[in-house]
Amino acid sequence: MTTSAPEPLLALSDVNTFYGQAQVHFDLSITVGRGHIVCLLGGNASGKSTTMKIILGLVKPRSGEVTFDGASLIGLTTPQIVRRGIASVPEARRLFADMSVRENILMGAFVRNDRDAVAQDLDRMLTLFPKLGQRLSQRAGSLSGGEQQMVAMARALMSRPSLIVMDEPTMGLSPLYVDRVLELIRTINQEGVSVFMVEQNASLALEIAHEAYVLQTGKIVLSGPARALKDDPRVRDAYLGGAEAA
Amino acid sequence: MSSWLDYTINGLIVGNVYALVAVGLALIFGVSRLINFAQGSIYLVGAYIGWVAVVQLHTPLPLTIIFVAAVAALVGLIIERFGLRPLQNSVRIAPLLATIGISFVLDQLVMLTFSPNPRALPSQLPDVRFQVGGGTIGPLDLLIAGVGISSALLLFVFLRYTKLGWAVRAASQDRDAAMQMGVDVNRVNQTVFGIAAALGGVSGLLVGMYYNQIDTAMSLQATLKGVVAEVVGGAGNVPGAVVGSLLLGLVESYGVAVFGTSYRNLFAFLLLVVVLVLRPNGLFASARQAPPEPLTGTFIAPSRPVRIPRWGLAVAVALFGILPLLPVSFYVLQTLINAWLLGMLALSLTLVAGTIGQVSLGHAALLAIGAYTSALLSLTLSVPVGLAIIAGGLMSAALGTLLISPSFRLRGHYVSIATLAIGEIVSLVILNWESVTRGPIGISGIPPLSLFGYDLISPASVYWFAFAVMVVLALLQARLLGSHLGRSFRAIRDDDIAARAYGISLNRYKSLAFIFGGFAAGVSGGIAAHLYSYINHETFNTQQSILALTVVILGGLGNVVGAIVGAVALVGLPEIFRIAAEYRILIYGIVLLLLVRFRPQGLLGTI
Ligand SMILES: Nc1ncnc2c1ncn2[C@@H]1O[C@H](COP(=O)(O)OP(=O)(O)OP(=O)(O)O)[C@@H](O)[C@H]1O
Ligand SMILES: [Mg+2]
Repeated sequence: MTTSAPEPLLALSDVNTFYGQAQVHFDLSITVGRGHIVCLLGGNASGKSTTMKIILGLVKPRSGEVTFDGASLIGLTTPQIVRRGIASVPEARRLFADMSVRENILMGAFVRNDRDAVAQDLDRMLTLFPKLGQRLSQRAGSLSGGEQQMVAMARALMSRPSLIVMDEPTMGLSPLYVDRVLELIRTINQEGVSVFMVEQNASLALEIAHEAYVLQTGKIVLSGPARALKDDPRVRDAYLGGAEAA
Repeated sequence: MSSWLDYTINGLIVGNVYALVAVGLALIFGVSRLINFAQGSIYLVGAYIGWVAVVQLHTPLPLTIIFVAAVAALVGLIIERFGLRPLQNSVRIAPLLATIGISFVLDQLVMLTFSPNPRALPSQLPDVRFQVGGGTIGPLDLLIAGVGISSALLLFVFLRYTKLGWAVRAASQDRDAAMQMGVDVNRVNQTVFGIAAALGGVSGLLVGMYYNQIDTAMSLQATLKGVVAEVVGGAGNVPGAVVGSLLLGLVESYGVAVFGTSYRNLFAFLLLVVVLVLRPNGLFASARQAPPEPLTGTFIAPSRPVRIPRWGLAVAVALFGILPLLPVSFYVLQTLINAWLLGMLALSLTLVAGTIGQVSLGHAALLAIGAYTSALLSLTLSVPVGLAIIAGGLMSAALGTLLISPSFRLRGHYVSIATLAIGEIVSLVILNWESVTRGPIGISGIPPLSLFGYDLISPASVYWFAFAVMVVLALLQARLLGSHLGRSFRAIRDDDIAARAYGISLNRYKSLAFIFGGFAAGVSGGIAAHLYSYINHETFNTQQSILALTVVILGGLGNVVGAIVGAVALVGLPEIFRIAAEYRILIYGIVLLLLVRFRPQGLLGTI
């Protein structure tokens, strides 16, 4: 893993978010360096998924700035943000349950118009996720949780994003699948895609991440290189604190 | 005497027509979780545009169809863009109410432009019939079948093989996820509204040709039939909507064959209620439960209600109480009597729709039950009018609650559909149960209002009577809302799942609300019957249900004083401005639209 700081690809600075009266983020600042895997850790209801929604434009912050590739994302709609090169693996996968696996994966390429290259990328996904080959015409809703996670990741990659944001990609998976998913995230990253992921499973996530942030009831309480945080007792404390607050 | 084959052909043809409406409803529901009550109005517009094309422009048939589809699609796009898109972030029931307002506006515009008289819409096709087995089939039947089948095919190809079609499907399965793939949901909405409107408009044209007659009453009927077919097929399920439509067409056609024409609609609505109660997801859905979350939530916009001090209310009551002693015209009293009657209905609806969150679209049925009970008791059994009116209230409370009770487990939009259907069923039963209700002839010679043997003939006495009854009902309701019971009602409205978790029995509380509300509405209907001296199955119609809903939204849902203020405003203002009767419904529609958009909490605020 590199230690030199790359130029920032995504930056949230001093973001404050509210749902009605309730404040969810307090001066949140997070940076994802180009080519990095950055992990956001935190207990239940600490505001992790909301951070994803801010990045994707699904929720608007009350104040603060979000920049991607040097340009502000504030005021853009979700489809516009996606077209800038951010793909997502949402919490609980959110596949299109009644569409086939093939259609789901191709939906990921919705913003692209280069049909031939899309077809090639579909083949590439089948080498990356070999299991999906036999399932292409199956209803996505009928897949197992692990298989659905594979489809969600393939779908996200199909837009050829420069950044993928993932919300708890290992949630509800068997240990075998958890390892596989983490391995895949590393592979994706090595192919040049930056990754911003939300996780509750701190120890595993820190294995593959370059940098990590710990979120506790809407505030960043710790951040730094993943390697340093891995052994930091405060990670566990903050973590438990967050879980208790929830 | 027609053969069974004829009835089958007729059922399938009519089913095809319904399918054109229902498919559009299903597409829209799929993408926006919205039941588009304006769909029938677009169908109406289609029929009249068709009339203009055929009779005035003399366009050839293919051009007529294209012209109608294009104009209807344009209307659909306008509705989506200006009527619904601004409501994207409002409470779930807001767009539904907006479509109701839009449908009032469109229907009235058509009526004002073309007059309410029926018109003939010639089919431009040769009038020949071919013998097929034991039945006959004509060119128009073939045209309708052809349009139905080719629309279905086109739609299938669109959804399956085009990028926009994929976007529509993705958005209807998971809107947020579709956005995260880069799908522009506004464009998807526009697309489905355009398609739905084009199909609906063509459907209106074909129906007009089929019966060689069009009139403005077609609109509500079409919406209702489309909704029935769509719900039977499973809301949001496009192929289901087609099958549901054909099924509905056949059920109606066979029903007519056995029982006669006036039963046609009764079968449609019974089918709807049975499906809603037994399989709210439609006949083809696997799970036996209504679609979750997006349908819940009521129209209660958070607000700080306007507090009117007690003495202020007392002064207002006193002022209105002595009004007949002042030199006011008969006309003013007449207007206010109507306002008090509507106020009672609004009290009922504001409790049911506002306080406990069951947005009823069939409240006029409660008026009808009270009116018929009171009229028949006093007329045939010579029960004193005062007692008869109370009996009418009790009957409305009992029967209304009984009729709605199978639907207690429904939520959100489904409650609205069920109440609408039940309202229609009541009116159809009144129409068909001739031995008791005298059917279409109606009941005439209903004795005038009287109290302890004294007839209330003078306008002042009628005024006092209606006003006093309304004030008593309002006081009772205010007491009720301040009690523990009222808090439980609101808990159910705000979160029925949590309420259930706290051990609140939903059915019991919903029953209590409908019993109280049914009584108030029944009393209002009873008084009206003795006041009008003549009633029939159309005296208390869906328009009044919607008017009552507009009143309670205007006043502020759940707000007792608001209901009465709303009634006075909606009855009184058109009188003050001397607005001609035919423009009033138009105004009500516009008021509803403006309220939903700009002041969902109403004048006095929701409680
Ligand atoms: N749409 C919403 N409206 C109101 N409050 C919300 C909404 N979404 C989330 N919240 C609240 O905001 C807080 C943060 O939610 P968020 O989903 O971001 O947490 P999270 O860290 O992802 O939790 P989890 O680990 O359970 O997924 C929670 O208290 C939640 O209840
Ligand atoms: Mg989350």
